[in-house]
Order: sequence, then C-alpha cells, then structure tokens
Amino acid sequence: MLEIKALHASINGNEILKGLNLTVKPGEVHAIMGPNGAGKSTLASVLAGKEDYEVTSGEIVFDGKDLLELSVEERAREGVFLAFQYPVEIPGVSNVNFLKTAMNEIREHRGLPALSAKEFLSLVKEKSALVELDATLASRAVNEGFSGGEKKRNEIFQMAMLEPKLAVLDETDSGLDIDALRIVAQGVNTLKTSDNATLVITHYQRLLDYIVPDYVHVLFDGKIVKTGGKELALELEEKGYDWIKS
Amino acid sequence: MSENLVAFEHQLGKTSLSLPELLTQEAKEGIARQASFPTTRDEPWKYTRLARVAGLSVTPIAFNGAPTLLNGMETIDVIFEKGTWSCSTDVEGLTLQSANAISPEAWQACTTKGHVQHLNTLTAQGGVGITVAAGMSIQQPIRIIHRCSGERFALVLHHQIKVEDRAQVRIELIFEGEADQAYSNVLTDFFVGKEAQVHVDKWQNTQGNHYGFYNERIYQDRHSTFRMQTLTTNTHFTRNDVEVFSQGEAAHTQLYGAFFGRGQQLIDNHTYVHHMAPHGTSDENYKGVLWDKATGVFNGKVKVYQDAQKINAYQSNKNLLLSSAASMNAKPELEIYADDVKCSHGSTTGQLDAQALFYLQARGISKAKATEMLVGAFCAEVFEAVQSEYIQTAIAEQLTS
Ligand SMILES: Nc1ncnc2c1ncn2[C@@H]1O[C@H](COP(=O)(O)OP(=O)(O)O)[C@@H](O)[C@H]1O
Ligand SMILES: [Mg+2]
Repeated sequence: MLEIKALHASINGNEILKGLNLTVKPGEVHAIMGPNGAGKSTLASVLAGKEDYEVTSGEIVFDGKDLLELSVEERAREGVFLAFQYPVEIPGVSNVNFLKTAMNEIREHRGLPALSAKEFLSLVKEKSALVELDATLASRAVNEGFSGGEKKRNEIFQMAMLEPKLAVLDETDSGLDIDALRIVAQGVNTLKTSDNATLVITHYQRLLDYIVPDYVHVLFDGKIVKTGGKELALELEEKGYDWIKS
Repeated sequence: MSENLVAFEHQLGKTSLSLPELLTQEAKEGIARQASFPTTRDEPWKYTRLARVAGLSVTPIAFNGAPTLLNGMETIDVIFEKGTWSCSTDVEGLTLQSANAISPEAWQACTTKGHVQHLNTLTAQGGVGITVAAGMSIQQPIRIIHRCSGERFALVLHHQIKVEDRAQVRIELIFEGEADQAYSNVLTDFFVGKEAQVHVDKWQNTQGNHYGFYNERIYQDRHSTFRMQTLTTNTHFTRNDVEVFSQGEAAHTQLYGAFFGRGQQLIDNHTYVHHMAPHGTSDENYKGVLWDKATGVFNGKVKVYQDAQKINAYQSNKNLLLSSAASMNAKPELEIYADDVKCSHGSTTGQLDAQALFYLQARGISKAKATEMLVGAFCAEVFEAVQSEYIQTAIAEQLTS
C-alpha cells in the first residue's frame, strides 16, 4: 500500500529526512518511535503534502500512484489521513460544515453521490459516539476552544467519518490522560480492517499497550535505524534512545 | 446633453433639476464655491485618485415617476431604473414621496461640508422621501433598488428617510446593473427619532467601469439605534462616506462592512462618527478581502465632543490580502475632547492562515473551496449582522462561484 524509498526531505534548507525507507501493507499497524526532533512529524507532513517541506530525492508510492505528484487534497481523497499532532483551530468554520464539505468532495472523487443531510447526521451521531465526543462539539467551530483531549478525539472522529486507507497518527497520545488514551485507541482499533493500514507515531511506549503494532520502527536523525516487533517498544522504554545511538 | 463632469458640476441652475431649486440662491453660490472633485492632497482623499472620474463625459439621468399603491407585497420596493422611478405601498404609517416634496428647511439643514456631497446637492436628479410615522413598526423591508445599466450616464440622487420617534424600519439600499464609463453619486439622509430603530443593509454590486460615490448622513436622536451593513462586491470604484451625528443622549450606532476587491478595483470606506451627547455607543466592524491588484481603504474617524461623557466607541478593521499585489490602507482617527470615555480601535492586515488552509486541504477540500470557507469565516460577523435574505443569498452565491 505504501512504499517509501530513500526519502530525503528538507525544510528551509535543513535536511531532516536523510534516506528513509518504509513499506506498509494493507491490514498492518506500524509504530514509528524516536526522540524529539528525529523527524517524525516531518515524515507525517511530507506524506500529507505540506508545501513547506521540500523532497530532494527518493520516492513515495501509495496504492500504485506517485504520491509526491499529488496535491494535498488529492492525497486525502485517495485515502491518506493525517491526525495532526497540533490540530488547527479554525474560528468561523463549523465542524459539521467542514466535515460535510470534506466528505462530499472525497465521495465525489470516488464516484459516490453526496450524502443527504439525514445520512450525514446519523453518521455524525454514530462516529462521535465511537470516540465519546460530545455531540455538541460537532456544531462548534473547528477545534476552537476544544481541550487538548477533545482536539485529539476530534481527529479520530474525522478519521472515522472519512474512512481512509492509510491513517497517520502523529503523537495522538500526547496530552491525553489514561481514559482518553483508551477511548482514542479503542476508536482506532474499531476502525481497523484488513484493507486499511495505520502508522502510529509516538515517543512513548504507553499508546502501544492499547494499539498493538505489527512492526515497531525507530526513527533517529532522519532515518529508520531499527525495526522489530512490538517487544522493541518495551525494550526502548527500558533502555532509552541512547541505546540505539550507541 | 453630454457634459464633462467638471463642467457638469458648474452648470448650476441650467438643468431641469428640481431638487436644488429648493435652495436659496445664496446657499447655491456658497455650495458652488466648494463643489469640485477633491485631489489626493485633500486628507480624506489621500488614497483615492479622482482624475479619471473628473474626466468622464456623462449624461445625467433625470427621474420621473410617482408612488403607486399596491396591496400585500412582501417587500416595499422603490426602484430607480432608466429614468423612471416607481414604488408601491399602502402600508399604514409609511409615506413615500418624491424627495422634491421635502421641505427646504430639512433640505438645507443637511448640507454639510464635503466636496462630493456638494456636487450631489448641486446636481441631484431625484430621490425618494420616506417617512415612518411615530410609533409605527413597518413589517416589510423597504428596498431602494438602483439598477445602474448602460454607459456614460450620471446617476445623482438624494434620498431622505425620516423615522419618527419610537418607529422601527428595515431598509435595503441596493446598487446593481452593468455599466460603462458611468458615475453615480447617491446621498441618503437618515433622520432617526427618539427611541427609533433603523436597520440598513446596503449592497453595492455594480459591474463594469462604474465610479460610485455613496454618502449616508445619519442624524440620531436620543435612545435611538441605527445599524448599517455596507457590502461591496464586484465594483470598479467605490467610495463610501458614512457620517453619523449622534446628537441625542444614549444613542447606539452600529456600522459594519465587508468589501471584496478583485482585478484593479478600488474600494474606499470612510466613516465619521460624531459623538455629540453623553452615554452614546458606537460599534464599527469592517472586513476587507482583496485579490489580484485590488486596493482597499478604511478610514474610521471618531470625534467625541467635550460634553459627550461616558461614550463607548469601538472600532475594528481587519483585512485579508490574497495576493502580494493587493494593497490596503487603514487609518483610524480619534479626536477626543471629553475625559470620561472608552474608545478602542484596532486594525490588522494579513494573509490567509496557511495552517488552517493546510488542515482543510488535508481533509480533501480543494484549495479554492478551502479559501472560500476561510474568507466566509473571516467575514462571518458582518454577514450575520445582515438581515436581508436577498443580499445574504446573493453574496453567498457570488463567493462560491
Ligand atoms: N520550520 C523549520 N525550519 C527549520 N527546521 C525545522 C522547522 N520545523 C522543524 N524543524 C526541525 O526539524 C527537525 C525535525 O522536527 P520534527 O519532524 O517535528 O521532529 P519530531 O516530530 O520527531 O519531534 C527538528 O530538528 C526541528 O527543529
Ligand atoms: Mg512531532
């Protein structure tokens, strides 16, 4: 589903990703761990198509397509979803209106008819319950005045609505208490099928108790330096990242 | 009759103008001495060049018509189109007449200083006079519609709207049509009585090379409320002067506006609020969105007179530049002669929030649609204040096309 080969990317002339390789198959959950500043969010942004980052070499193939050729919105319509580390507040744009617009643009791209107001609302009800997101939040402005935990749950709610093929969760666990963590993880697990894949970015092992990965990768200084099973996360927790460096 | 506008402004008394006949010869001469197009050396016209306008060759449109009475209308429409004006109403408490019928005293009372107003006074070709009787609340909105189509015309009108004590009315001022090498100068006076409430939605949507000058002068008595939303879309050149004389105690004034400039369009909004009595409040909120090489001006002046204590005057102007070639000139002006007042003002000009744009696009929304959503959100406070469904729908359609 996703194949990243020798990816080099920089921002403002600083090279951040320095030859990253990663292969993800349908039905898999991959965790990417690494210290602050390793380039985890950079990888997520490059996948989503953020223009601030320049890909200097390498390739990304998603579902047989050259991802780097696609615009931000085209990637989303093809099924790439980024749960932001810092969800953006957008005053004046209601969550509902935003999601409805997004869903219908994605549906149009996939050759599906627009949802009726009734269908849309019943989906909102069902999916917001999944992450125990207060239904009144749906009618508020996008992320405006949401608590940290509400913002993260809102990301997973959007993911549930848009049903992506590849979900990239960037530090979705940061700032969550244990209850919220459990809710978010449960949401992600419920959405998992044999056709979609999840890339979980985190620098704590904690989340991986709830979302169990098939593979754990260690990202360090712009490269994946170690790959293992879920036990690698525990080892990292115990020994710290210095263990990788040496 | 086609006249260069500069000559046009000096042809005092030579046309069949009915309105200026109300003025005494002395008043006419006084006004004539001051009537001319200002230059950028005049402070209030610093950002707006008028050489092109003064050079226009135009024919004034004279308006003939009379109100007719019709039953059961959802709106009361006063329409100025191709030299005729018409309106229809049989609503109790409402009088519509040609502005010629307004008394000379009322007329002269409102000839304040100002170049473009003077030009209007000298050359006005008609207008509507509306009176809402004391204590009456008019259910239907009154729509004054100017259909400005054609070329090389001058549309010069002076409307007077009198809302007597405790009366309530909602008015729409609409300017539409497609014109070339045309000039309008429309002056509207509002006399707002004690405890009266007036809501005005004003929409300027004249397409083509049309130079539009619009003046509203508002005289507010005590405990009255006057609210006006000024929306400018699709206009080649627009200058708005809104001047409020808050003369009675505890009057409330709300002036909101949103303007959208594209291509080489110029939109200049000037407001001037005179707080002349204590306990008054004013709330100004203007939003500008400029694309391409468009230019915007916002100049908000507030003057608090010496005896006008406990005034609360708020002013905000925010602008979005969607191209690096667009430009905005914003200037607040405060003149305060009382000591116990609260005045605040703020102005910002910036670009679209790149993070927000990325967030929307990352959910599959096209850049164009995302931009439109953010522009809509930016102007939401102003759009929400608009009560005219007609204007709201039309603007929403324009912004999504
Ligand atoms: N706008 C920027 N300009 C220069 N360097 C940046 C910019 N944004 C991030 N970086 C740098 O890129 C590196 C990787 O950042 P990031 O991908 O956010 O790391 P992580 O998510 O793994 O903590 C950091 O060293 C950070 O300082
Ligand atoms: Mg990060």
